[in-house]
Amino acid sequence: MERQDTKGKIIKETFPSEIVSIFGDILAGIILIFLILPFKSFLLLILIIPALLSLRGNLSGPFIARTAKDLIIGEFNKRTWLENTFSTYTLSVVTAFLIGVSSIFLNLFLIKTEILNFEILILIPIMSMLLALSLSMPISTFLNRFAFKHGFNPNNVVGPIMTAVDDFFTVICFYFTLILLGVP
Amino acid sequence: MEYFKKVFKESIVIIIISSLMGLLSGIVLSTNQRILYALPIILLILPALNSLVGDMSTVSVSRLTTHLYIGIIPPKLKPSRRIKDDFIGLFITILLSLVVLISFGFIIGITTGIQIINPFLITFIIIITVTLLFFILFGALFISSIIIFRRGGDPNNFLIPFITSLADFLTPLLLIGFIIIFI
Repeated sequence: MERQDTKGKIIKETFPSEIVSIFGDILAGIILIFLILPFKSFLLLILIIPALLSLRGNLSGPFIARTAKDLIIGEFNKRTWLENTFSTYTLSVVTAFLIGVSSIFLNLFLIKTEILNFEILILIPIMSMLLALSLSMPISTFLNRFAFKHGFNPNNVVGPIMTAVDDFFTVICFYFTLILLGVP
Repeated sequence: MEYFKKVFKESIVIIIISSLMGLLSGIVLSTNQRILYALPIILLILPALNSLVGDMSTVSVSRLTTHLYIGIIPPKLKPSRRIKDDFIGLFITILLSLVVLISFGFIIGITTGIQIINPFLITFIIIITVTLLFFILFGALFISSIIIFRRGGDPNNFLIPFITSLADFLTPLLLIGFIIIFI
């Protein structure tokens, strides 16, 4: 599959996915402004959002790439997928916890607001990442398998599409987490 | 649990570092908010611009990794036809995507009443930022993938988290730098 990819095939497969990504990201930006901006704690939340979007890319991107690689080299099965999923969840909890702890310190030394307590600052990144990944991983696996089955290179197609879907889910899940935790 | 252990062991440090870089990029953006608010169109397209650079870098890494695993390219620091084709293919894709991104950004800007100051210069700054980043990142990714693969690691686990955060950090930084230089 990879051996046969010409320049034209790369453009043909990557460009449409990138268009979806561009539209999705602009949409995510607009939603972010309308849903998150009205919160009283926005000054603090805006510190966490770039890190969460970054973490989303750091976890979801490799998950998709590993699934694509396993499909292409013929090692995709239930066991590898479950271990891939479990490792992504574990990494997300550990890293989201550290983002929460870091945001506490940044708040103490930089923003200096008492609007959110420590527990909430730790729970926000953990809950929103777990929610976003629970939606994202089954969808990206389905898309990887679908692309592979239909002769597309999953490496070219799935990543850019999932960037838009994931950014959208991250923002929505972040919003739901704030509602669930009663963040002002 | 071999697969789990390999993924966790190879990813944990770089994911923590790059997520902390995400916090850093939030601080960088907030400290330069005056420049961004003076040119609001940049704010509108910045998330999509970050994604574009990140996506193309992710596609580059995942393709390079697969090439290495199935033996299309040797684990040597030597340019091959396959690498040149990947570079040209992805570069054309990034230029076409930029046309769509800038056009869509300007259309949204006009329809929502966002003031667009110096549109040609802004377009030039965006193109020069993304092109420069793509050239630097592709070269760095090619070298890093080969080194990691030679050491028995999976470049996907290390490079994708790192490059995503680096792109999130470098895109606004270079954009702001060029705005300061040119405007």
